[in-house]
Amino acid sequence: MLRYALRRIPSGLLILAVASVVIFLLLRATGGDPAAVKAGSDASPDTIAAIRVALGLDLPLPVQYFRWLTGLFTGDLGYSLVTGAPLASLIGNGLQATFVLTFAASVLAVCMGLVLGIVIAVSSGAGRSVLDGLASMMLAVPTYVSGVLLILVLSVTFNVLPVGGYRPILQDPQIAMQYLAMPALCLALPAAGVLARFLATSMRQVMDEDFVRTGMAKGLSQGRLLMRHVLPNALPPVFTVLGIQIGQMLGGAIVVEAIFAWPGIGSVLANATLARDYYLIQNLLLIAVSVFIVIQIVTDLAHAALDSRVRLEQPSP
Amino acid sequence: MKKLTIPSTTITSSSRRQLLMGSAGALALLALPGCDRSAVKEAATGGTTTGVKTVVLTQSSDFQTGSMMAQNNPNLSIMRAVFNPLTEYDVKTMEPKASLASAWKMSDDQKTLTLDLRTDVLFHNGAKFTSADVLAAIAFMQKDTTPSQTKHNAKIVTAAAPSESQVVLTLAHPVSNIFDWLEMMVIPQKDSYEQMLTGAAFIGTGPFKVDSYKHGQGMSLSANEKYFKGRPKIDKLEIQIVAEASSRVASLKTGASHISMDLPPLDITGLITDSKFVNVIVETWDSAMYVASNVTIAPLDKKEVRQAIAWAVDRDAIVSKVLSGIGLTSSLPWSKSSPAYDEAKGNSYKYNPDKAKQMITAAGVAGQEVKICYVAAQAGFASVAEIVQAGINATGLKATMVPMQPADFFKGLSGEGLPGLFVNGHGFGHLRPATLLKGAFPFNADKNASRYSNDQYKALSNAIWQNTDASKAKALYDEINAHLLDQQFVSDLALGAHTYTISTRVKGLAYTALDYLILDQADLA
Repeated sequence: MLRYALRRIPSGLLILAVASVVIFLLLRATGGDPAAVKAGSDASPDTIAAIRVALGLDLPLPVQYFRWLTGLFTGDLGYSLVTGAPLASLIGNGLQATFVLTFAASVLAVCMGLVLGIVIAVSSGAGRSVLDGLASMMLAVPTYVSGVLLILVLSVTFNVLPVGGYRPILQDPQIAMQYLAMPALCLALPAAGVLARFLATSMRQVMDEDFVRTGMAKGLSQGRLLMRHVLPNALPPVFTVLGIQIGQMLGGAIVVEAIFAWPGIGSVLANATLARDYYLIQNLLLIAVSVFIVIQIVTDLAHAALDSRVRLEQPSP
Repeated sequence: MKKLTIPSTTITSSSRRQLLMGSAGALALLALPGCDRSAVKEAATGGTTTGVKTVVLTQSSDFQTGSMMAQNNPNLSIMRAVFNPLTEYDVKTMEPKASLASAWKMSDDQKTLTLDLRTDVLFHNGAKFTSADVLAAIAFMQKDTTPSQTKHNAKIVTAAAPSESQVVLTLAHPVSNIFDWLEMMVIPQKDSYEQMLTGAAFIGTGPFKVDSYKHGQGMSLSANEKYFKGRPKIDKLEIQIVAEASSRVASLKTGASHISMDLPPLDITGLITDSKFVNVIVETWDSAMYVASNVTIAPLDKKEVRQAIAWAVDRDAIVSKVLSGIGLTSSLPWSKSSPAYDEAKGNSYKYNPDKAKQMITAAGVAGQEVKICYVAAQAGFASVAEIVQAGINATGLKATMVPMQPADFFKGLSGEGLPGLFVNGHGFGHLRPATLLKGAFPFNADKNASRYSNDQYKALSNAIWQNTDASKAKALYDEINAHLLDQQFVSDLALGAHTYTISTRVKGLAYTALDYLILDQADLA
């Protein structure tokens, strides 16, 4: 498994290199001028031109590209072209907040998805229809709507959770978790709905397998059969879906972060894109690509660990 | 083959326990509000201990730390909280008052301004305020890379400091708006500019000192015990960046915040039905909405077409629907406090679709296309653009909407030009007219967003800028108003205002002529 992970590193680096060029060129091709945004709507062309020079935006593209790469390799990410903020702290703080949110949402999604998926799989009749409907609703309701509804119910009406905001988890865990609860739940709901439906479908398929019938014939209790035999065999495809869902949660965090004033990377990326804050966008997108590569490798490894029929590498001849 | 099902009623007690454990784990986070310390209660006090007066303010956008010498909406909340200018207008009379400068004298030829500085002012880091800080501010403001609408307005030839408490400015020629320039230029501590630009530190002389600033999250400030106008009554000020308007409204309703800046008008009208909230309208009316033309593009190169568009737009609809009544219709850029304000001329263009249609037909351009550019992310301007489009379509022209991102829009505005009409906002209609004519890019006679170049307009702008004789001013203002109404390269539509929606617990809130929030005398009941 370790050898598999190590062998994926060169291809991962190649993907990153190609992605860096594509991201750099696409951003330049989209038009817009970060110097004009920095200068404001009343700025004269002279001021904007001076800012462009000061920011190095007048340099040839290859020079700008290699300056960026040099900065990356030397750990000097530079400053935001528009706000002047140091990119290392902007990205560091944002990533920390987004990872905390996504991790909490993933845990919640897995717990809710597992419980709901199993209950749907083993229920029948009207109960199953109701639970199926619930799972469908969870994945169909946009996070914007569920977020506002959660605020209305839990903050405005019952006033048990703060409307929004953020506290670093290590600084004050008790208060931080209360700030985290609503955005994490909001982000987790659609993923939990997807996981529940996939798990229920996968479990029903496994329940039709001969080995389950054999187990029942041997007198295994249905609970044991369900938890020891059906669920483990139903989980691997769900795990693959979970990997995709975590990736989507990272992207979907933009909306949730805006609603709950969660200072994650989503809002940073959205604002940077609107303002064409080139270096900030480039770094963030490159980080996103790296995260997806890692998630993909981890998902493959986990899939193989859960299902012995899956081989990560071709056997040696 | 018969399908195997496992009814839920047959799940064993051990698997049920596992299910329950899973459920408990999933709900653990939701049970956290039951903790002995409540984030809700802490949020309502700004996260501080009882007895500390903390005011929490929410706003939609992060601060622009590179634009501290410009009027910039996201900075309205902190500019006057952290810094002071040399002089400051009384917003009622628009007469300059002393601030960091205790007195001043203009020479008879109106070309030398001597400013006496206060000697009892300390910066937040303990450094003494001196003339060196003023010279540093002037030098910083004059830099090519410093964004500021008024940077070229003073036309300073030399700035000298005969002593620690005096600064002498020599001007190339008299200027009518020197106090606008002084109001805009705040004085940070002379060694703190690099830190200010990156947001690492903000060292001013204002009533609050910055304890911490996190990009995208907000700023924590505490009372400046040695503030030269007296210690503020509030102990702490927390400014939170909350992008979503509905979340800012909910925050006010739950008591987690006390002030929200520039809420959407519809949210304001909803909130103030509750007696616990009031809406403070910044009555400088410094937030004008306009539609302007790139006059190099047909059919907007014809003055008659631009005038027809001015007749075609329903300004009342903009005030009632977009601004929810918090606005005034206007055909000129000036608000009431401006010396150039003329109520009758300001109402020259009223909604008259029939007249507009006749003018378009007479100009022979019916059926031609005009594009309307606007920043899509700014909901107010998008709505104005829709009203403009409806009005133009009724004239026989075909209006096409062009939603743009800020980076593209501003690039077009200042650089390569926008492909037709553009909807945007401007300020400075309430200050000295020269500040708008020289500082607001839509109106700049030398180079403007409309590509409008006219010798008469240039001469008038310069005359207004350089005229310090009050007896001649009225005639100049009449001339410029007539020119603007006739040429319509910029068609002003409505004067809006910044707003601070506040809890009635907050008392004593005020604002400067540049709409900056003043909390010197504010208190929390």
